[in-house]
Amino acid sequence: MNLFRSEEHIERWLGGREPGATISVGKLSELAHAWWSDRLPPVWQPRTRELNQVVLDRLGLDEPFWQLA
Amino acid sequence: MDEHDLSLRSVTYSLFVKLGRAPTASEVAGSEGLTEVEVASGWQRLHEQHALVLNPATAEIRMANPFSAVPTAYRVQADGRWWYANCAWDAFGICAALHVDGRIETSCPDCGEALTLEVRDEQPDDESLLFHCLVPAARWWDDIVFT
Repeated sequence: MNLFRSEEHIERWLGGREPGATISVGKLSELAHAWWSDRLPPVWQPRTRELNQVVLDRLGLDEPFWQLA
Repeated sequence: MDEHDLSLRSVTYSLFVKLGRAPTASEVAGSEGLTEVEVASGWQRLHEQHALVLNPATAEIRMANPFSAVPTAYRVQADGRWWYANCAWDAFGICAALHVDGRIETSCPDCGEALTLEVRDEQPDDESLLFHCLVPAARWWDDIVFT
């Protein structure tokens, strides 16, 4: 899960491996804030896989790559 | 996850943020009135439930996501400290978890060029960069350190 300069840099880094998924850094920030913002309060409860999937789906990350199971 | 493990997890995270590093089992035991063995067995249960990640060789904390207990390629300045994140997602996650702005420093894995981002009001100041996730979501926990 890395940051890259551009698509060209990703392709070169992959070196022929099957690509994963690429999103903008702005979308990544949205994802991170939706995913992690509840992590520290003492009232935290573990999220079910279904709820985690909802977080991804709401951000438009609903392709097969982003399916948690 | 029962209330004892939730409490142990909460104290562990709280100490991580307070200390700026992963707490030891001894430190958590001392603050909770537990034995080190009780903390270690609780951490193992949390590890099995993906609530934190232990170092398999030492049973010490490796990840309290989004924080990393060991140096990584993702450094984050937030809330008056430098932190290590497990990956790019977690680098933003540290700002999110702490609810603060921050600065992320890393390098492009392809060319090695330094990449620096400021995060202000949940927005990165350089929208030109791209995030690549190699491992499909269904396999993230097969090997979370590699992911």
